[in-house]
Amino acid sequence: METLKLRKITSVWIIIVLTLFVVAIVLGILMRLNQGEIIQQSPITFYGNMTTHGLTMIGIWFVAGMAAVNYLLERYVKTSYAANLFALVLTVIGVLMLWCSTFIGEFHAGWTFLYPLPFKIMWAEWATPLFLSSLGVLGLGWLVWSISLMAQILKKYSISQAFAWQHFHKNPKVETPPFILITMITLIGVIACLIAAVILLILFFIEYFSTGSFVNDALLMKNLTYFFGHTIANEMLYLGLAVIYELFAEVSGRPKWHTTWYVALAWNLSLIFILTAFFHHLYMDFVQPEGLQIIGQIASYLASLPAAGVTVFSILVAVYRNKINWSLTNLLFFIGVAGWVIGGLGAVIDATISNNFILHNTLWVPAHFHTYNAMGNVLFSLAFFHWFSNQYYHHKERQNTLKLSILLIGGAGFLLAFYIGGAESIPRRYSTYPSDLPMGATLASIAALFASLYLIAILIFFFNISKKCLKILSSSPQSS
Amino acid sequence: MFKDIVIFSSIVMISFVSTNVKGQIASSGWKEEDRIYSKVFDAPLSGKQLRKGTTLYQVTSQKPTVLALIFTRCTGVCNPFLLELKENIELRTNEKNFNILVMSFDPRDTEKDLDDLAMRFGLSEDKRWEFAVTDSIRSLVQSIGFKPVWDSLRQQYDHDALLIGINSEGYITKKLIGIRNNADLGLLLASIQDSFTPTYRMANPNMLFSCFNYDAKTGKNTPGLGLIFVALPALIAMVIVLSVNFFVRVNRI
Repeated sequence: METLKLRKITSVWIIIVLTLFVVAIVLGILMRLNQGEIIQQSPITFYGNMTTHGLTMIGIWFVAGMAAVNYLLERYVKTSYAANLFALVLTVIGVLMLWCSTFIGEFHAGWTFLYPLPFKIMWAEWATPLFLSSLGVLGLGWLVWSISLMAQILKKYSISQAFAWQHFHKNPKVETPPFILITMITLIGVIACLIAAVILLILFFIEYFSTGSFVNDALLMKNLTYFFGHTIANEMLYLGLAVIYELFAEVSGRPKWHTTWYVALAWNLSLIFILTAFFHHLYMDFVQPEGLQIIGQIASYLASLPAAGVTVFSILVAVYRNKINWSLTNLLFFIGVAGWVIGGLGAVIDATISNNFILHNTLWVPAHFHTYNAMGNVLFSLAFFHWFSNQYYHHKERQNTLKLSILLIGGAGFLLAFYIGGAESIPRRYSTYPSDLPMGATLASIAALFASLYLIAILIFFFNISKKCLKILSSSPQSS
Repeated sequence: MFKDIVIFSSIVMISFVSTNVKGQIASSGWKEEDRIYSKVFDAPLSGKQLRKGTTLYQVTSQKPTVLALIFTRCTGVCNPFLLELKENIELRTNEKNFNILVMSFDPRDTEKDLDDLAMRFGLSEDKRWEFAVTDSIRSLVQSIGFKPVWDSLRQQYDHDALLIGINSEGYITKKLIGIRNNADLGLLLASIQDSFTPTYRMANPNMLFSCFNYDAKTGKNTPGLGLIFVALPALIAMVIVLSVNFFVRVNRI
């Protein structure tokens, strides 16, 4: 059972995530306004904001998923409060260091900080080591947290049980809950990608301090960057899916989902595919062996099948011709799965080598990853935040339809501008568009308008949820 | 004829002595990246082989263009720069799908000055070469990011030897600063013809973890230590899972 301490730290996570989310959305809107030529930012400010926006978003939705999984995991195993707190403290320190490096030091190499860009100093000299150190601090906190959660699972379940291998046989004696299976698979992926980040940072620092006696291989650094970047961006979605498997049936008044052989198989395969799909980021790198490019495409196709296929099938079966207690929580889950699937399809289109020649580095790329984040993963976490805060302070909320409508209209309009831009070959990562691409500026202005609607909806969620979380924070053991 | 050759050779020799070419190449830095993929200014051109009213875009739209910026009174790099360019172009007799446009950035230069220069280099009859001036030189050099500085003491411009690649749509695709070899010119020609040029960082003894090691003798790549690093995160993660399992199994409920 969860403790008051866990409840409070989860509330802190939620408030921090939502606060940083609002700031990061504002940065995103400013970027689109600049591209739309409605405001004027210097390229340094634009790319600084882009770096901050990207890393903050990746970071907050990863920790949002981890906090939710940590909270729900307490239903099955005892989790470590110390590890949770350690991750929280290091996340706050890491974000402050990151923001110092970008806002004060004007570091603006993008969230992927592709080698050798961080060494082409066009900002304060101290900003490069501070930026890399901030990633080290964040990575350390999250790695310890992930290993701690995995250790707690392995204290109760053997490795084969945690992977649900017994479900490949008939009538297994022990049932591995889907939540445990997905969490275990996801945590291993998270640990692998954080280790990739550790190796990457070590290589960066060795070169930084070697004063030329050691240089890195750009191909190796790019592989490691996307091992980390692509994998963590996907694993945070899987954390959200673990929460759906645990809560969707429960809040819908349906029987709890069970692990079957095909669920076990799908998620076991997901681990392999998700760790090899990142090769699709290197299609344009002609020196990458062709075999790895082919693995990248096949893994990208297959990665979507087990997790997405099984999850979508399970959700559809759960709601089709069944009486569902629809609430804001399961509506957010349901719409989030739709957003995840649409974004996933966009990703698979781009991960096809022949299409990538056309779509590479166009607005199609931010189109698909914003779809499965802004309209997928964010909704998974909002659903959890809403469910969590209502556990203790349930008020009948009004205007849920209005809130959802603003969120959907704002999100869809914002994303559509990206997709149309991508289809029109408008390049991404341009602070302003040249006069030959007038459509880029028009689409950016439209996107900023719809993103502002999305922000309004998020602010309503932010106030409603934070208010309840603050009450949880001020509650005593007696009142709970 | 003999007199022209002597004068020309003297100018070239003096230019070589008075110019630190290596210094220019080494200090070009990011300047070659400035204004890449920007449109060049559509300047009106005057030249012997050009019809009246011809603009730069009309020249580039016929064929991708290599633009060389010089001035005829130059006692420095302009002559060796043009000579090297001429020799490199002569090595490419089979490649006809580009123009070379030599333009003066000195407002004092006239169409006749450029025509004389073409004659001195023996290029006035070569169809690939155009020598021209423009009355909009300020806008043109601004669009290229070329910044000559007038030295009143020497009565000379302090300037880069700059070669600009412009594709058929009028975009600057590549710049070369300094006197460059034929291979570099090849990269510039490929870029104006919108063809893909693979480039990769050369082997470096300080690069310990390269994904591939290039053998110059065989011309082949062999897998390097770096490839192991790509697989390392997954392997370490697996070791961590097994280690954690080993240590916690005694406490398993």
